[in-house]
Amino acid sequence: MSASTRGGWRVALRLARREALRRKGQTVLMLVLICLPVVAVTAAAIVWRTQDVSSAESVDRRMGSADALVETTGADRVVQGFDPYDSFGTFGEDDLSPGPNLGRGDVEAVLDVLGHDRPVIPLDRDSRLFETDRGVGDMEVVTTDLAHPLADGLLERVEGKYPPGPGEVVVNQALASRGPGIGDTLTVIRKTADGEKTLDLEVVGIAESTENRGYELAAGLPGAFGETENPTGRWLVGGGPVSWDDVRALNAIGVLVASRQVLTDPPPESALDPVAGGFDEPVDQVVVSVLALVGVMVLLEVVLLAGPAFAVRAKAQAHTLALVAAAGGTPGQARRTVLASGVVIGGLGGVLGVGIGIGIGAVAVPVAQLFDTTRFGPFDVPWPLLLLVAGFGFLSAVLAAVVPAFSASRQDVVAVLAGRRGERRLSVRSPFLGLALLGAGVAGAAVGAGTSGRGGGAGSVLIAGSALVSVVGMILVVPVVIALVARSAARLPLALRFAARDASRHRTRTVPAVAAVGATVAGVVALGIAVSSQEAANADAYVPMLPDGYGSVALSADADRSAVVDVLGRSLRDDQVVDVRGVQTSTDQGELEFEFRQGGDVLMLSHWGTLGSSYVVGAKVPDYVDLSADARAEADAVLDAGGLVLMRSERSYPEGYPAPELDGGPVTVDVRRWSPEEEASTATDVASAAAPSAVVEVSRSSPAVVLFSPRLLERLGLETSTVGMFIYGPVSEEAEKDLQEALAALPTAAYLYVERGYQPDAAVRIVQVVLAALGGILMLGGTLTATFLALSDARPDLATMAAVGARPRTRRTVAAAYALVVGGVGAVLGAPVGFIPGLAISQPLTRSWETGATAVDVPWLLILTVVAGLPLLTAAAVGACARGRLPLTARID
Amino acid sequence: MSAVLELTDVTRVHGEGPAAVQALRAVSFRAHAGELVAVMGPSGSGKSTLLTLAGGLDRPTDGRVVVEGVELGALGNDERARMRRTSIGYVFQGFNLIPALTAAENVALSRELDGVAARTARAEARRVLEEVGIGDLADRFPDDMSGGQQQRVAIARAVVGERRLILADEPTGALDTETGEEILRLLRARCDAGAAGVLVTHEARHAAWADRVVFLRDGRVVDETGAESVDLLTEPAAR
Repeated sequence: MSASTRGGWRVALRLARREALRRKGQTVLMLVLICLPVVAVTAAAIVWRTQDVSSAESVDRRMGSADALVETTGADRVVQGFDPYDSFGTFGEDDLSPGPNLGRGDVEAVLDVLGHDRPVIPLDRDSRLFETDRGVGDMEVVTTDLAHPLADGLLERVEGKYPPGPGEVVVNQALASRGPGIGDTLTVIRKTADGEKTLDLEVVGIAESTENRGYELAAGLPGAFGETENPTGRWLVGGGPVSWDDVRALNAIGVLVASRQVLTDPPPESALDPVAGGFDEPVDQVVVSVLALVGVMVLLEVVLLAGPAFAVRAKAQAHTLALVAAAGGTPGQARRTVLASGVVIGGLGGVLGVGIGIGIGAVAVPVAQLFDTTRFGPFDVPWPLLLLVAGFGFLSAVLAAVVPAFSASRQDVVAVLAGRRGERRLSVRSPFLGLALLGAGVAGAAVGAGTSGRGGGAGSVLIAGSALVSVVGMILVVPVVIALVARSAARLPLALRFAARDASRHRTRTVPAVAAVGATVAGVVALGIAVSSQEAANADAYVPMLPDGYGSVALSADADRSAVVDVLGRSLRDDQVVDVRGVQTSTDQGELEFEFRQGGDVLMLSHWGTLGSSYVVGAKVPDYVDLSADARAEADAVLDAGGLVLMRSERSYPEGYPAPELDGGPVTVDVRRWSPEEEASTATDVASAAAPSAVVEVSRSSPAVVLFSPRLLERLGLETSTVGMFIYGPVSEEAEKDLQEALAALPTAAYLYVERGYQPDAAVRIVQVVLAALGGILMLGGTLTATFLALSDARPDLATMAAVGARPRTRRTVAAAYALVVGGVGAVLGAPVGFIPGLAISQPLTRSWETGATAVDVPWLLILTVVAGLPLLTAAAVGACARGRLPLTARID
Repeated sequence: MSAVLELTDVTRVHGEGPAAVQALRAVSFRAHAGELVAVMGPSGSGKSTLLTLAGGLDRPTDGRVVVEGVELGALGNDERARMRRTSIGYVFQGFNLIPALTAAENVALSRELDGVAARTARAEARRVLEEVGIGDLADRFPDDMSGGQQQRVAIARAVVGERRLILADEPTGALDTETGEEILRLLRARCDAGAAGVLVTHEARHAAWADRVVFLRDGRVVDETGAESVDLLTEPAAR
């Protein structure tokens, strides 16, 4: 850098610093625009990093005051990362392995490695059912000697004492609020192969987990909740640091180790077994690319929002820049002087934003903790990340000053010194370049949409890149559109005419504001289309099992029917519930499998159903199966003839697998039974028979798939039982909730299903509302900035208006009109640009794996709200906020 | 005596076609070292255009502008800017100081832009401010100074760095009579020290400080008179 360039920067920075102090109001506005995203991201980063508990931070909550938590795996040997929670692999778990295969009682083998003088206590975590005031609930149980010093830090005692004996427990507040408090009895339910067992324990204290909140938890001495089914053993080990070498030695006998020393002060990565390094999930390049593009879009948005403020600052400095030129400043010096404003504001904004963000983060952390069940770690300020965020603020300010800087360097010095100012002529090349970029954006999006598989891929990156190109193209088109609007403003009312022409005369200030609104609207429209389309695809793929509001209960083989009927009777009328009899396929003897053949073809049937079995029996088609009269008559005739009815709807079959075409002739039924062993199960033929058949179309998925005649089942030698119950609707949501809880309390399994139709994901609605709100805020921000800067700039014109008799409300009307021009033009330009990535990204998001079909749903209401509603709303808000008093100062230039 | 500023058949046309305005028409003009030349004429006669061309802020449509032997029309933007930093000084009617800079910083501006170290440039600026009689105001901002003080700073800015051509556009227009006379005395002294000065003015009594007076009308030099006849100065048309 030459001496004159260095000197130039020195002068430029001094001027920028002093200008920032001289024009405090404008500086505050610029700082707000730059700071806001920095503040938001900083606060979010602090909440994220604080809630994200690192291995080192989790040591106390995982192992109390112990030096290590060791766990046998039953494997010959293991390979683990520094934290076994993050990654580990086991070797030789089968019977053929020659290793020691340590289990629950093998703590001695652990101490052989670590030394027998170390204190050790067992620690186990499991889940149990317990009796609540209204039924049965789940709880987490922790078994260890909580009074032992090694366990100190696992729980926080709130009230009472730690359990001194095996019949006593502590519970957390969440569990106590559902029933047993201090002095009460906690009834634990265990379902075992021998049936249900209960265990009464006395609650002697309240203690909260240091790891989670909100979940029901109880803790007691080992064995307090009955034997665990976990074959491995876990122990807390004290007596001094457990080194990485100790960890490796224990890994060699199949023991996983979380060591306090290793987690808080990990050895170099090179100490890891090469196999453990392979456990890490590779970084998804697509996600990284898309995130980078999103980052660029956010940067662009901030730059565009802040652009008008820098343009006005540069304009205010025009005279200074002309004087600098008169004193020998080069055009480059003018550029430096305006860019220095970006450097000063960006530097200050970045530091200030990070500072404020840390403060807001400190306030937000306890609030966020209320919505998270995992306890946050200590307050964590991720300085390297915040440095990047501050750099983002700095960069956005400098970039926002780039266009004004180049405009300033091209200003007519003589004209400015003579008091004449004006915008340079419209660039002829820019709109064409903009249209070319828009075309490239459309083409890129189309290619990306065509090449993406469902859910993403490189095509998504191409689409995101095309979105960026399209937005840049739109920005280049904005000046010519503004000029066209001004030209066609002749017949508009005075305020709109003035606003349109003023916007055109001061394009350096107007273009970034309009572009910011356009980019916002484009983003909202694109995301809106993507989210709605995905939702439409989900709704289209939904298969209702029953008529809306109707229900069914699936009974397991050992279910107590009368108990289920009793429960249903508490909330439903008797005539609402009918038994469904069928073949119970899951039995103690194994799983029954049915195969249906016609000729040599095996018929592919849907196996979906909401009853305990998809194979039901009846002499006639039950009236809960929705059939036309003709189909019902045909099906009844087949059943009467000892046949079977195959029920199907188009949606019963996966896309690409057509429903079976039957010629009405006999269908052969083969029945096999798979032996109950989980591994090496074998199939045995049970029966086979041919019978007349009918295929009936049901208007929705039937709760069953095949309806057998009693005679056919008799021929097959199969027993029937009540496999479930059909519930005529409507079943209210409240009744459903009560029934669910009451059925869960029954000792045998009975599953209630109530058809509610497709339930849109609440998150989608939230996303749409957030999108509209975000769009509104950004649009309001961009429009307000541009409008008030314009009003400040137009002060002499408004004074002239006042002098010739304009009413005070004229200023308000002009302000509203200016907001309408900026917001309206931006929205109208941005909406079609948003369609480009929106339609494109909907393709990979909704593409069916089987058929390649896609869905597009345009949220017209959202778009109409953003394009028409928001500009009008913004204009009204601006009009209401603007001062009505017209300036009375005389024109000075 | 060598000419510091030399304009030869300089024409400047603003705009194009029917909207074209001829600000200067084939004007030839010289200012020598140690000479103060006053330029007089009615509004729109081309006085300020002549000054912007002489300062290299604008380019002539036709003709040559030579400063210290260098033809400005042959230079690029950066070279002409360098000429303004090293050879040409401007004094405006409205002072035109940069409000964000102190008096010393305003004066030091061209030196700093030329790559001179800030400390050196400011020391130089303070010395020139002493010369124009306001050394004690070096650290004041323009808003805290009177009109006369601001114009003294402007003159200091124009002469700092031993620049040889001083262009003054109505430098006393915004000042009272007494202060205006002081400013002209400073300008005169600078020319007596070896610089060439061009003073654009409306007032004959100010032109009396000059060695020569050049009259412009409708973009042409219509008359030129010596300093000895300054008491009789009136516009040629009125004579």
